[in-house]
Amino acid sequence: MLGLSVRAGSATLISDVSLSVDAGTWCTVIGPNGAGKTTLVETVAGLRRSSHGTVTLSGESVSAMNERQRALRVAVVPQHPTIPFGMSVHDYVSLGRTAYHGLLRAPSAADRRCVGDVLERLSLTEFAARDVATLSGGERQRMVLARALAQATTVMVLDEPITGLDLRHQIAILELLQNEVRECGLTVLATLHDLTLAGQFADRLVLLDQGRLVLDGPSGEVVRSRELAECYGMELRVIDVDGADVVIPVRH
Amino acid sequence: MIATPPSGRRVVLVVGATLAALVVAMVCGLVIGPTSIATMRVIGDVFSHLGLGHSTLTPTQSEIIWQLRAPRMVLGLLAGAMLAVAGGTYQGVFRNPLADPYLLGVAAGAGLGATIAIVDVGGAVVTPSWTPILAFVGALLAVAVTWAIGGRGLRSSTATLILAGVAVASLFTSAQTFLQQQSSTTSLARVYIWLLGSLASASWSSVTLVLPYVVVCVVICVAAGRALDVMSVGEDESRSLGLPVRRVRLIVIVASSLGTAAIVSAVGLIGFVGIIVPHIVRLLVGTSYRRILPISVAFGAAFLVFADTIARTVLAPSELPLGVVTAIVGAPVFVIILSLRRPMAP
Repeated sequence: MLGLSVRAGSATLISDVSLSVDAGTWCTVIGPNGAGKTTLVETVAGLRRSSHGTVTLSGESVSAMNERQRALRVAVVPQHPTIPFGMSVHDYVSLGRTAYHGLLRAPSAADRRCVGDVLERLSLTEFAARDVATLSGGERQRMVLARALAQATTVMVLDEPITGLDLRHQIAILELLQNEVRECGLTVLATLHDLTLAGQFADRLVLLDQGRLVLDGPSGEVVRSRELAECYGMELRVIDVDGADVVIPVRH
Repeated sequence: MIATPPSGRRVVLVVGATLAALVVAMVCGLVIGPTSIATMRVIGDVFSHLGLGHSTLTPTQSEIIWQLRAPRMVLGLLAGAMLAVAGGTYQGVFRNPLADPYLLGVAAGAGLGATIAIVDVGGAVVTPSWTPILAFVGALLAVAVTWAIGGRGLRSSTATLILAGVAVASLFTSAQTFLQQQSSTTSLARVYIWLLGSLASASWSSVTLVLPYVVVCVVICVAAGRALDVMSVGEDESRSLGLPVRRVRLIVIVASSLGTAAIVSAVGLIGFVGIIVPHIVRLLVGTSYRRILPISVAFGAAFLVFADTIARTVLAPSELPLGVVTAIVGAPVFVIILSLRRPMAP
């Protein structure tokens, strides 16, 4: 994306942000609350319009696409997914195939096969007939990820995909995603609050503050940067634990 | 109460029972009335019209069946089917369990139109024969104003639309109240009777008038079931899944409102069918609109014909207003359902 700005009324939510994500890599956007992370990923997903600048996917403008064309290219995992009442897990994941079979036709054999595959890959097969409302937080998040994977897109946008999950489930979700990036060449743009996990799972980190891009670089460099500490307004220490960076805030 | 979505067998059972109820309702609509005619003779007469066997009815009895009861029964089927499917569709598109076909101002608009036709403010009477036309125009006008206020903006949401509907409905209702307050007691009574809804004036001509609207609108609403299922995850998420939310919303609202306006213009304001029938069906077959909407068509049709049979027989030869019967039957059923089910997610 180039020179992206988004306004809501008189407030500028993000201003002149340019970044590009290589296919088959994982880029995570970090920054304090209100930095514009959600706005940025919603704009990339085509759910918001930018006041300036464009988002392109392999040269095609996202805002010029209709909903269906977009859904075939970008899958979205929202921060607070709406869990419908009384729907089975299988039917929920099948919603990811909507753009393929359309609104008037039933899912094809290929659609059903894809949903079956994704359920299996995410160990959800045993839950397929369950009501979505009966799942635990971890299972639910896996189900939302399954719906996005059923879209079989090359790009996935995730807004805080591990919010509210315990440590084990956080790692499980991120590892599933990492596997999709490495094995299937998925391109991921995510937002995360946890700096340690952000650094461990992304190829690249983008630091936003007050709607502006502050820093963009390899994970190891960004977590050690002076700018990161400045944005959060506190001292941060990075410890190397068996080759993995752990970011710790220092309290005075 | 429904831990897992209902099984296929249960759905088949519900569909079978609903269709059976529909057939029984149709027979009741033809057989029950002040002039008693044996059920088998009526059924024999129906078959004779299909070229099977011979009718044993007298010409007067045949006249009663085919010119009085049959058009009334058919109009009841159309009204029940349309109101029920429109209510279910509104509940889906607004993701609001309290939505009914009158949500966007159809009732208030039709009420104002009918009032203008019926009342005699300052000695001026438009003429009661204009009632259906003015009711139809009023209903569509109210929905159009609601849409113009709340449905067009770039980020317009269903919440804005519902609020616009509330505002428009209050405006039209107060205009209607003002006119009624200025009119004579006799015309006021006529407006009141119209507002409560009735199938008493049904004829084949009113059936043919509303039939095309109802058929087209019911087909569109039922076809929208899959889109409404996608919409159950909210507007932003359904857009990200490939649903053209704004277009679907417009098509579905136009179809529901147009069909409802046609029905209201012919039979007045019949309440409760549009809100309770989809809820009863949802309780029986789960939350998928692909099931709720088609089953509501048959269920609503049967329900209204039963209600009308009660309305015209309980106090015969005078009639109870149909809106009163649907509410007397509907309200307790609605309360029972609400106490049985888990709260519906917004």
